[in-house]
Amino acid sequence: MHRLLLPGLAAALLMAGGPVRAADGPPGGPPGASSCTGCHASAKISGSVIPRIAGRKAADIVTFMREYRSGAWPSSVMGRIAKGFDDQQIEAIAAWFAAQPE
Amino acid sequence: MSTRRHFLKLSAAAGMAPSVVSAQSAGAGRVVVIGGGFAGATAARTLKALEPRLTVTLVEPNPVYTSCPFSNSVLADLREIGQQQFRYDGVKRAGVTIAETSATAVDVDAKSVTLADGNRLPYDRLVMSPGIDFNWAAIPGYDEVAAQKMPHAWKAGAQTVLLRQQLQSMQDGGLVVMSAPANPFRCPPGPYERASLIAYWLKIWKPKSKLLLLDAKDAFSKQRLFQNAWAELYPGKIEWVPLSQGGKVTSVDPATLTLVTEFGSHKAAVANVIPPQRAGAIAAQAGVADRTGWCPVGPVTFESTLRPGIHVLGDAAIMGGMPKSAFAANAQAKVCAVAIVELLAGRTPPDPILINTCYSLVAADYGISIAGVYRPTNGQLADIPGAGGVSPLEAVGGLRGQEALYASSWFRTITAEIYG
Repeated sequence: MHRLLLPGLAAALLMAGGPVRAADGPPGGPPGASSCTGCHASAKISGSVIPRIAGRKAADIVTFMREYRSGAWPSSVMGRIAKGFDDQQIEAIAAWFAAQPE
Repeated sequence: MSTRRHFLKLSAAAGMAPSVVSAQSAGAGRVVVIGGGFAGATAARTLKALEPRLTVTLVEPNPVYTSCPFSNSVLADLREIGQQQFRYDGVKRAGVTIAETSATAVDVDAKSVTLADGNRLPYDRLVMSPGIDFNWAAIPGYDEVAAQKMPHAWKAGAQTVLLRQQLQSMQDGGLVVMSAPANPFRCPPGPYERASLIAYWLKIWKPKSKLLLLDAKDAFSKQRLFQNAWAELYPGKIEWVPLSQGGKVTSVDPATLTLVTEFGSHKAAVANVIPPQRAGAIAAQAGVADRTGWCPVGPVTFESTLRPGIHVLGDAAIMGGMPKSAFAANAQAKVCAVAIVELLAGRTPPDPILINTCYSLVAADYGISIAGVYRPTNGQLADIPGAGGVSPLEAVGGLRGQEALYASSWFRTITAEIYG
């Protein structure tokens, strides 16, 4: 614990400046996470029908990704993208976005 | 939750976040970014967000960036060129210094960039995202002067407006001739989206006109999706001539708007020549481009394999399986920014996973897509097997309309992330 004395508090602090370091990993989130914001906006914006995922419940993101991957939930690109990630990677990405400001 | 949120706001206002970051990372330094497109502007902004103590300078001569993605919609009167244009105010607000001039030279040994105004910018790490330049020697007769008669419109802006004007002043019945280059080139599905949207526009405004697409290759991105859509939406309007049937343009005559192939010549009413390309000229000057004209990089940090300390992003780089797209450039830049922060702090950058998604419009409300997921494999960024692919050939449930909407939503989101 060389980085953070109060993990929850400090993680919140670190997020204030943007896509910053998680308590237990490199900055920018787990592998794959930084690509998502090309479509899923980090900040609240108008003019997009693509939902934001920052601040969503991790369990919901995991469920969507698994169902996209299996085809249980129909999609356009998300099924094709979800197939590139295993359960562990999906869980890490979901936890990362859940911890971002909504 | 509300307490935490409140504290977050308070601490941000009090400027506490940077001090917490600085307590744990000794990685501050100077990063120079050459080129303010999708890759460069993303890299500059992300670096500053990750490590506020970094000095980040973006070298970009144009005060306004004109986006190539969605510029084909300008040709079809679906957008105005102003909707393609973005200023750097948001990048500046994020703490990036803009040097509004060109980079003329990179001194790898001294680790400095020489600017057109004579100043030198020292760097600890250099990011080069110079985009493309045209290989003017590749098609005899086609040079910068000829491009005023036969626009390439493959760097968006004045060229896009020129091609649009030419289409609008063309007589109904006039033949539009396009030429597409061999791989690799910026935006692999781009020529075919352009042919589609010009056909869309011709169908409404110049119903007697047709489009001939001369191609220096025998296959192209999303080919079956495009060709099915052409047959469905624009029957008889688009004729695609592949390499094996004489599609490669061997010379042009701008005076007569003639494109010559190995099999014959075609006189156009409007000619759009998309010439062969290579990395922006500064890449060769810096020594990061190889004999192909493009820049080989490692798959984790995108550091040049030819010149240490220089990272190359976007269309200029050879990114293994990743195509030369704006989405890819943005994704690479975010990964690279993390890598640079880690390298400057003496840590090992993490192995990344990157995603690409490219939408193409075939008509105003008809979109198709290709996606891929990539990771470092044997020294290259390689497709993760089983992931990625194109839209289904049989669309159900209004999928094409949905993908058109996702396309514009993507553009809105990514440009807000970079320039907003």
